[in-house]
Amino acid sequence: MIRKDRSVPWILVLLPVSAFILALFLGRYGIHILDTVRVLLGLDGPSDVFRALILRVRLPRVLAAACVGANLAVVGAAFQGLFRNPLVDSRILGVSSGAAFGAALALLFTSQGMIVQTSAFIFALVAIALVMLVGVRFGSSTLVLVIGGILVGALFNSLLGLIKYVADPLSTLPAITYWLLGSLNATQWSDLPPLLTITGVGLPFFALLRWRLNLLTVSDTEAMAMGIRVRLIRTVIVAVGTLLVAASVALAGTIGWIGLVIPHVARVWVGPDYGRLIPASAALGAATLILLDTLARTAMPSEIPLGVLTGLIGVPAFFILFLRFLRTRGEAQ
Amino acid sequence: MTKLWIAVSLVFLCALTGLAQSETTVIDQSGRSVTIPLPVEILVSVHGIGTYYVYALGAGDRLAIAYYIGVKTLSSASESMLRWEPRLAEILSYGDPNIEEMVASGAQLVIADGSQHEAVAEQLRDLGIPVILYRAETPEELKEAVVLTAAFLGSGAQAQADAFIADYDRMVNAIATDLESLAENERARVLFVGTSLTKVISGEMYQTHLIEGAGGISVTRELFGSWNEVNLEQILLWDPEIIIIPPYGLIQPADILDNPDWQSLNAVQNHRVYRMPRIIAPMDTPVPESLLGIAWLARTFYPDYVSFDLAEEIVGFYANYYQFTLTDEELARMTGQ
Repeated sequence: MIRKDRSVPWILVLLPVSAFILALFLGRYGIHILDTVRVLLGLDGPSDVFRALILRVRLPRVLAAACVGANLAVVGAAFQGLFRNPLVDSRILGVSSGAAFGAALALLFTSQGMIVQTSAFIFALVAIALVMLVGVRFGSSTLVLVIGGILVGALFNSLLGLIKYVADPLSTLPAITYWLLGSLNATQWSDLPPLLTITGVGLPFFALLRWRLNLLTVSDTEAMAMGIRVRLIRTVIVAVGTLLVAASVALAGTIGWIGLVIPHVARVWVGPDYGRLIPASAALGAATLILLDTLARTAMPSEIPLGVLTGLIGVPAFFILFLRFLRTRGEAQ
Repeated sequence: MTKLWIAVSLVFLCALTGLAQSETTVIDQSGRSVTIPLPVEILVSVHGIGTYYVYALGAGDRLAIAYYIGVKTLSSASESMLRWEPRLAEILSYGDPNIEEMVASGAQLVIADGSQHEAVAEQLRDLGIPVILYRAETPEELKEAVVLTAAFLGSGAQAQADAFIADYDRMVNAIATDLESLAENERARVLFVGTSLTKVISGEMYQTHLIEGAGGISVTRELFGSWNEVNLEQILLWDPEIIIIPPYGLIQPADILDNPDWQSLNAVQNHRVYRMPRIIAPMDTPVPESLLGIAWLARTFYPDYVSFDLAEEIVGFYANYYQFTLTDEELARMTGQ
């Protein structure tokens, strides 16, 4: 059932924008609300420290949280339809495992954020290239892609284990462990161009592809009967989804649950039509990750790893959705 | 009859003395009673920190295997380390402890880390190899660990352990005396970062004790656990006067001093960002060299107050405990001159 609530489009805009603005006003360093407004409006008055904190520390971080949250949620929603499996998220094709290996490998040699991100991004693409290779060889059916993703993910997880095994326990191992927990703590403006570019291209792409995504949720035969070039569209969706996930994971580390839970919450809100599900997932994903990241950086003197927070919120949320599903099924029966 | 009793008693005493020399029983830092056959001639260390206790007590030549000697692999060992321990290639073993390798080495005793080697210790005990577990995260526990180590290394080691504790206390007392006139609000407020700019120590870590021993105040003393990840806003709130970087990891003072986001910090404006030097062990960890860590920190915090000669302390420590003579370049690196 597709709901026709007219307020949805406004909320889709208001939700992430409100979270975004709120996040700029919150931080460990107490900055008066008026000073924050002056800084954001470019007015004179606030100290250089305030300006640096709001414009160079908070702003790029909140922007990154918005992009990463939206990307993971949209790709999760698209992949759940593509693979016709509600338990799928953006990690299904081993992309996150590839990125984790790439980041860990780079962290063995350097702590330079740009190099770590580049390595994570490259190995995320290597992972999907391997999955595609399996797909080309054995046919790009969803089953082949899923099996390929599991194999490639397992391979990179093993290699990641090897990297952790050889990492120095005093220096590189803690850095790798923290990266794997996910964080936006080190985000700078210089990190954002790749993420912003890929997000700017990828999200509209999924919005444009909405009706094809609707058709791909039925069987391949039915989709082909309706004029969809299933293999081509599936490959393109996987490729663009991979780019979005790779860019996100490269910057933020491994963040689970957003790609799994947010699409389901969005479905409850706007229904299964991808025309509404894609923007709703993007809005909810962005707002959720902005708020969780704000909590991560303000709740305690220490940062709380984002992956920990998304897990703590994601597990009960998923359980509630599951109970709701069981109740709905009971009513249907 | 009296003479007979005296003779019997003497024989009994001799037997007892003989028994006392053939084994010793100690309580390790996990609280377990361990009986160790003496003398211990072949040792295995699966505890990087514990390895240095053995070396500092003059028994490094008894190590058959060590699973971490400040480095994990030979390729990452510095020239100083290779000169200090020519047997490094022979005894440094890679990866996690391997039970069969340890048994094959003929180990009479294994020293291990109480926080992570309980399972390995259990297996070794089943095979009849005694295991000493260490847990040292304060200066008192470090001294206790050194005394514990001396208990199974023989009388020479006992004297060395006593000397170490005396040296440690002498250094801490000398610093305290030198800084007596400093009021609490004149104490250096110190941030000790880790292997990334935003990773910092907690109040429970040995580094906090070192800073306090050197007369400083760790701005992160309220944090708990191990290394904590914090954000720049929190660091700006603390606004430390001095920032210390550990002697491992890839962070250099320039990474902080040249970072535009850190410019408003007191420590950056006054160029008081330092990386601890290192020759053998990282001296911010609970190893005997941390005695020099306290001295180095105190000299760094209060160059105009401390009266001891840092170079003399460094040369003396390596000569007395590691039988190692520093080159002029190494000494200059350690003293920052």
